[in-house]
Amino acid sequence: MHIVDGALSNPVVIGGAVAAVGGIAMGLRSLPLERIPAAGVLSASFFVASLIHVPIGPSSVHLILNGLAGLMLGWAAFPALFVGLLLQAVFFGFGGLTVLGVNAVNIALPAVLVGLIFRPLVARGSPLQGAIWGGIGGGVAVAATTLAVAVSLMLSGDEFVLAAKLVFFSHIPVMVIEALLSGAAIFLARRVKPELFVDTKGSLA
Amino acid sequence: MIRSCVLILALLAPLPALAHNVISSVFPSGSDIEGEVGFSNGDMAADLLIEVFDGAGAKLGETKTDADGFFLFTPAAPVTHVFRGDLGAGHVAEMTMEAAEVAAIMGESPVETAASPAAPSAAASAGLSDQSRAELARMLRTELRPLRQELTAFKNKSDFQSVLGGIGYIFGLFGLGFYIAARRKIGGSA
Repeated sequence: MHIVDGALSNPVVIGGAVAAVGGIAMGLRSLPLERIPAAGVLSASFFVASLIHVPIGPSSVHLILNGLAGLMLGWAAFPALFVGLLLQAVFFGFGGLTVLGVNAVNIALPAVLVGLIFRPLVARGSPLQGAIWGGIGGGVAVAATTLAVAVSLMLSGDEFVLAAKLVFFSHIPVMVIEALLSGAAIFLARRVKPELFVDTKGSLA
Repeated sequence: MIRSCVLILALLAPLPALAHNVISSVFPSGSDIEGEVGFSNGDMAADLLIEVFDGAGAKLGETKTDADGFFLFTPAAPVTHVFRGDLGAGHVAEMTMEAAEVAAIMGESPVETAASPAAPSAAASAGLSDQSRAELARMLRTELRPLRQELTAFKNKSDFQSVLGGIGYIFGLFGLGFYIAARRKIGGSA
């Protein structure tokens, strides 16, 4: 999931960095004071989730949890996931510092999109309905991330279909696990802390 | 003697520390360059196309890994050799062997270079036939492989302390953000 240093061409790396800066700025602007602790907790869960490995074929894939972050935070998922990625690169050597921007966009942009699309659905209806939409959102976020990784590789010269297939199919188990996990997390949050999905003014956040 | 040489070379071979769970290394093997590519969990990259470039990026040739992730390449010119294997999904293994090292392989001892691998009486200095030499090299590789993998796994290990440290950093960062945001809010309302 994390693209390593040297796998991408320079324009892709630079473009990714610019897009990441834009996304972080956008996320910080839409991060109200009372949501900062939630962003911190989700950032920490993302950071740790990458250590849970699921062995697949010759490689192993790990959980991402970007869908959950997107559902809880919307645009604010961008800075939260970026911080997690930065620390993963520094502490574990996942990815690398030069490709940090690209990785941030690949992981955070699907999170934000899923947040924008599924958040109203998750907040509505019974907790169970919300959990089902949350699960779908969690799976979709991972799928979108694999496609984003494939696009980054394609822009650097790899064959898109091949790269996309490889990343997509190896992440199907992750999608399933993340869907279940996101669904369960949303269910729990809807039951015990429904105000997480409603901002202080009482409207949908 | 051979063992310590191989060990030192294996340790000196540039292990790309930045590659997340890809391990790769190159080392001299007789008149060839030998290398291995795999994942840090012990699975080796079988049947992987390895492209060979010189320092300037011109392609010198290509080779393929065997079932154990090993590949052989016979250098034709004493220039820097860069070996590149694409394991897919953004995993790229890149290994470099410096020009001086390649030159040492090619011109190591004129006797050895002159003797083709087919000539069984070569390598009189070691008192070994090429066949037993190859057998020995193979045995050494097999024995060293777990060691090298363990070393890489150790390097890539994400221990409990760094996990805790990372979480601490995250909470610290967000706490700082919270502080700044709160101060701004209070300052704005005052």
